[in-house]
Amino acid sequence: MNLVVNYFRELGRATLDGWNRFWFTPADAATLSLIRILAGAMLLYTHLVWTIGLDSFFGPHAWISPDAAAQSARFSLGPELEQVSQADGRQPASYVWSYFWLIESPAALWTVHIAALVVFAMLMLGLASRVVAVLAYLAAVSYVNRLPGALFGLDQTNCMLAMYLMIGPSGAAYSLDRWIAARRAGKRLAAAAPTVSGNIAIRLIQLHMCVIYFFAGLGKLHGETWWRGDALWGAVANLEYQSLDMTWLAGWPLTIAVLTQVTVYWELFFCALVWPRILRPIVLAFAVPLHLGIAFGMGMITFGLAMLIGCLSFVPPWLVRRVFDGAAAREVENKTEARAGQGRGAQGASEAAPVPRRFGAVAARSARVK
Amino acid sequence: MNSRHAEPPTDRRLDAKRWSAPARIVVSLLLAWHVVGLLVWPLSVPQSILGDALRPIYRPYLEAAYLTHGYKFFGPDPGPSHLIRYDVARADGSHAQGVFPDRNEHWPRLLYHRHFMLSEFVNSQPPDADVDPRLPWERRPLSAAEQTYVRSYADHLLAANQGQSVSLELVEHLIPEPADVLRGMKLDDQRLYRVRPLGTFTGKMP
Repeated sequence: MNLVVNYFRELGRATLDGWNRFWFTPADAATLSLIRILAGAMLLYTHLVWTIGLDSFFGPHAWISPDAAAQSARFSLGPELEQVSQADGRQPASYVWSYFWLIESPAALWTVHIAALVVFAMLMLGLASRVVAVLAYLAAVSYVNRLPGALFGLDQTNCMLAMYLMIGPSGAAYSLDRWIAARRAGKRLAAAAPTVSGNIAIRLIQLHMCVIYFFAGLGKLHGETWWRGDALWGAVANLEYQSLDMTWLAGWPLTIAVLTQVTVYWELFFCALVWPRILRPIVLAFAVPLHLGIAFGMGMITFGLAMLIGCLSFVPPWLVRRVFDGAAAREVENKTEARAGQGRGAQGASEAAPVPRRFGAVAARSARVK
Repeated sequence: MNSRHAEPPTDRRLDAKRWSAPARIVVSLLLAWHVVGLLVWPLSVPQSILGDALRPIYRPYLEAAYLTHGYKFFGPDPGPSHLIRYDVARADGSHAQGVFPDRNEHWPRLLYHRHFMLSEFVNSQPPDADVDPRLPWERRPLSAAEQTYVRSYADHLLAANQGQSVSLELVEHLIPEPADVLRGMKLDDQRLYRVRPLGTFTGKMP
């Protein structure tokens, strides 16, 4: 009996420790800041394209009229709508919102559109980052809720990234905010201190990516062609998607089968295999051909790139700093290595810590050699 | 002496004290709510018992946060694509004909894809419950949702082309078998297309 009690006591303690370590270990904002730049650029481009079709998609005679957009939320309820309607004859409330529903004049439409583009540009550049991160999310959701019917995975990924950029200090590195602060201080600033909110933002992107891939894989198992192994042919031979003629694959059924199955299993197991550090580079490496294939083979460049931006959340901040900060990053690594040497009794270096001990030592050695 | 207390403090341990226990508890509850919420819509598309149980609780949050997605990309099977062909008749007897999406007209690619999704959106609407499932696709009547969107597209086309009436049809472009392509069939072979009339519309929506 004691054995069982002890097991559950130990399990509870380990779960609590793991939960605290996972969510509440402060993280360097380098990765989040890089995601801010790329997601901000993607939001800017996505909405810049709306400029061409602003009147067609948002004007008084838009493809989806405001009335049709409002009804869309109710249609999407399906059985729930039927149950509620049958129960008391009333339609359930919709919680979908968009500031575009308040806009009628073309002048106001252009004003809010240009304002949104400025917000996305500021997010990309990291100017007033904390404020524009919130505004960018509100703007991005307003656009998509006005336009059911013209959306696809890109919009889901864009809004997901914008949502989590609101949570952490995404302007703490590689931003105009940082550059302005350094100018005011009159000296080069040290890297901003790691924060818990920065870690939470990254963790949420990571978990959300796991959910996306897992259900994308699970949804494919619902279909015959993914199981049989010829689903990829359906993508290759679809003329409306096609941007690269790959129909020569018709003579390579085994290749199609392998690519189809690898896609399904990679998506299904991403949520488990991406966490062990030793497997992570391999798992992320698979994401590159998969999403670039969607980008350049099926013409969905924006969607493919947006998913890769999401995958960046799994790249540790120390690696981002190594790539983008050069000498400054090596200095941080050396200090971290020294501190890690002092705290050798600590268990399991956190992923969110600036540099994992092992990598820090390697990085420091390579810096000395150079 | 307990060795845990003898260790020099690491960054992580010092940092963990930055958030008080009550703050961590409150944030943990919010995180748990959100992370469970992320599963609700994927569990609801297609319908499931668990999804049905959770959706009424989470719907306000997920709708407000734009998290109502099933994430079934290219699932369950990559199917045929759909286009909408239109013919706008003007008062002077002239016509404006076209199709969306149209690679020649809609550029850049993202704008083409937006128009592509408009036509796919109509096709993705489920038929009304009272429709005979044995009816062939080409003769299936428009569901309430389809009517709403097709009427909206019709109004847009009438306004954009100064038209009096517009006829629309949904064109399904089937995927050829690999063996057919090896025998020389092109992806735009006319045998791969079938058409479903969506109706003729005049004037504004009542």
